[in-house]
Amino acid sequence: MLPIANSVRALREARGMTQSELGVAIAMTRQTIAAIEQRRYSPSLESAFRLARFFGVGLEPLFVWDDSER
Amino acid sequence: MSFRYKSALLTLISLVAAYAYYFVRVAAGVPGSGAVVLLAGVVIATVVIQIVGLGVIAATSADRYAPMDERERSIDRRATVVGYYLPIVGALGAAATLHLGTSKADMANAILLAIVVAECVRQAVFVTLHHQAG
Repeated sequence: MLPIANSVRALREARGMTQSELGVAIAMTRQTIAAIEQRRYSPSLESAFRLARFFGVGLEPLFVWDDSER
Repeated sequence: MSFRYKSALLTLISLVAAYAYYFVRVAAGVPGSGAVVLLAGVVIATVVIQIVGLGVIAATSADRYAPMDERERSIDRRATVVGYYLPIVGALGAAATLHLGTSKADMANAILLAIVVAECVRQAVFVTLHHQAG
């Protein structure tokens, strides 16, 4: 698991969206959204900003460094 | 499963099946120009399987027009890097066969094997990395 935790899944589910719908909204595949949510893939800075802007939050609450994983 | 995952799997399976058949036949001994005809048949069969298979996969995949995203491009790059070294090793190995007194046909087959193995490894790495995220 990667050391950067994220709240993508919680924010997506709060909006009642599927992974596919979120993927379409920010030009990513469903598999990539799944990988981000499972902390198997860290998105680029550009994609991280795209996610943050989509959810209307800042980068820091969306992506957080998780020291417990190191 | 995404369109790209399924198409990579199709490419991998068709290459392994077609060229395993070719190399087994060649190893068993194909007389005269039979190997050239056999290779031409294998290439044509692979192309036909790819066209038909990709058509079926595309017809059943909603994401068939979706461009690669950054994660898929990253996976593709990693798979290509892994596959890159195999033709080099294969070419050196094929050149080394000169000193073993092998024929031109054997040398050509050694190069072909290296190319096929490289592409199979590239597709296998792509499928494996793509599959890990579920």
